[in-house]
Amino acid sequence: MILLDHITKIYPGDKHPALDDVSLHIEPNEFVFLVGKSGAGKSTLMKMITKEEDPDSGKIIIGGIDLDYIRRRHIPHYRRRLGVVFQDFKLLPRRTVYENVAFALEIAGMSTREIKHTVPKVLELVGLIDQANKFPNQLSGGQQQRVSIARSVARQPKILIADEPTANLDSVTSAEIITLLQKINDFGTTVLVTTHNQNIVNMLDKRVITLKNGRIVADQKTGGIYKLDGEPEIIIDNSPKAPGFALKEEPPRTTISSAPKQKPKAAPKKPRIRRKVI
Amino acid sequence: MAKQPSKKQATKKNLKALTKNGRTKRIRSARRVVKYGAINFGRNIWLSTAATLVMTITLIILSITLVATVVLSETANTMRDKIDITLFFKPGTGKETLEVLKQVMENDSNVKSVEVRTSEEEYENFLKENANNTLLIETLEDPDMDMRATMISTMQSTMRLKVHDTENLDSIKEIVASDINFVKNLDETEEPTYDVNKAEIATITRWANIATTGGIILSAVFIVISVLVIFNTIRMAIFSRREEIYMMKLVGADSYFIRGPFIVEAQLSGVVSGILASGLSYLGFHFLEPRLAKYGINVDTVSNIVNSNKIVLVILAMILAGSFIGIISARLAIQKYLRNPSK
Repeated sequence: MILLDHITKIYPGDKHPALDDVSLHIEPNEFVFLVGKSGAGKSTLMKMITKEEDPDSGKIIIGGIDLDYIRRRHIPHYRRRLGVVFQDFKLLPRRTVYENVAFALEIAGMSTREIKHTVPKVLELVGLIDQANKFPNQLSGGQQQRVSIARSVARQPKILIADEPTANLDSVTSAEIITLLQKINDFGTTVLVTTHNQNIVNMLDKRVITLKNGRIVADQKTGGIYKLDGEPEIIIDNSPKAPGFALKEEPPRTTISSAPKQKPKAAPKKPRIRRKVI
Repeated sequence: MAKQPSKKQATKKNLKALTKNGRTKRIRSARRVVKYGAINFGRNIWLSTAATLVMTITLIILSITLVATVVLSETANTMRDKIDITLFFKPGTGKETLEVLKQVMENDSNVKSVEVRTSEEEYENFLKENANNTLLIETLEDPDMDMRATMISTMQSTMRLKVHDTENLDSIKEIVASDINFVKNLDETEEPTYDVNKAEIATITRWANIATTGGIILSAVFIVISVLVIFNTIRMAIFSRREEIYMMKLVGADSYFIRGPFIVEAQLSGVVSGILASGLSYLGFHFLEPRLAKYGINVDTVSNIVNSNKIVLVILAMILAGSFIGIISARLAIQKYLRNPSK
């Protein structure tokens, strides 16, 4: 679903690369934490995925699309396929909660009827149905982040990337946000979360990729206690192995109808995307 | 076994599916762009008012310039048409003689038209011109006094010439001075009127030229000022909303969806200012029309347009001009932020 192959990026004027020969491969329906201290290269990697930045070398393939071939005119269409959650929420301040979520659907050309049907369901999912007519400045940080998540999942993206979604939130609210992201992952969305908060990472039993000075220094598949300052226990060679792109048409995704029922944690998840993309 | 598509082909196929935009979607987007433009126009009412006022002033200046140019050139033409050179012949010069003289004069290429009047015709014309002066008419026409015959015997026959070029009358002067028929019949007591109204016509022509040139320059200057002011007004609006533009881009809004409402907003200012400028110009013209006419200024052409269905076309032209200024300004202003909204 997400493939980065030997990505290097050096910002003009910098001596050290922001990303140094980074390769990683994230399967469909995975929930992955990307961790590292400030300056480790997490945000740069996210910007590469959202096509805000281009790598100096290497290849990025997201959902079957080689980003090298994306032209300026394709970028908006490409971004609509991603759900993106930001540290500072990036909500439209002059629009209500409802309008912020609806905006993501309007730009995709969805009909007003569909929007009226979808937005309340998404707001219900994030627990903000009662706040629909409020403006962002009337909400708490946690609520604003929920709106941001609602906006990003309204189009039912196959990939959701969250750049430090809990950085501006207290620990209780952070836990709620992570639980919400896990719920979205349960619907079949691949989730990539960057953070430097070890409590959050340790909350879930998920894959953790550690970045340090622009390099991947660890890739823990599951389990284990992650320590931000600690040295990685195992260094895993995670370079992609002959990805073999099978770029078939994907089946249409079903609409979000309500919050999912509590699943047993250990139950194996059936990926909703039936093809192997990357 | 079917051949697997290459990565490039697969990406191209995926991109094509990605950017597929049906007609219905485009119509929906256009509708939303107009809706958000109208909402923004209302929400930023102070900026909208400032932009509308600047555009209104520009359009009024534009219309004043156009009206002044038309009125002055019409007046100059009317004055030019009034110019005639009058040659006076001895009283009693007969119709036949006058016709011969007319033919001679008509052969000159500078002559536009020739009209001749015998003494009798001049007298009749005199009566017609003074029809309101009953005392004079009664006196002249009193059979006991027999003034008519006296008047006709003293009144000169005349030839009135209209020429193409009032500045170059040498050929006509030459005919008058050398042609034997002219020399014989001209009344030496009264000189031909070559230079009547010439100074006034020169003045009005000069003003017409000044008005046309000055009007064009003034309009161009005001259009540029207007574009700059509106450009800056919209830039301010965009600058204060650059974060918003950045967010919109990040969530996948395309340039059309971001730029559209700003352009609609500016265009609305243009439409409102077009209507305002038309209304104010109309009122201004109605106020000035009788006053200008009193000074002999020809306002007929403008008056005909203003008082007929053609006024609709004028209003439409004003609205179009306002919209054009708005669109150009908004496009220029937003271009930079669309390319790099974070700066």
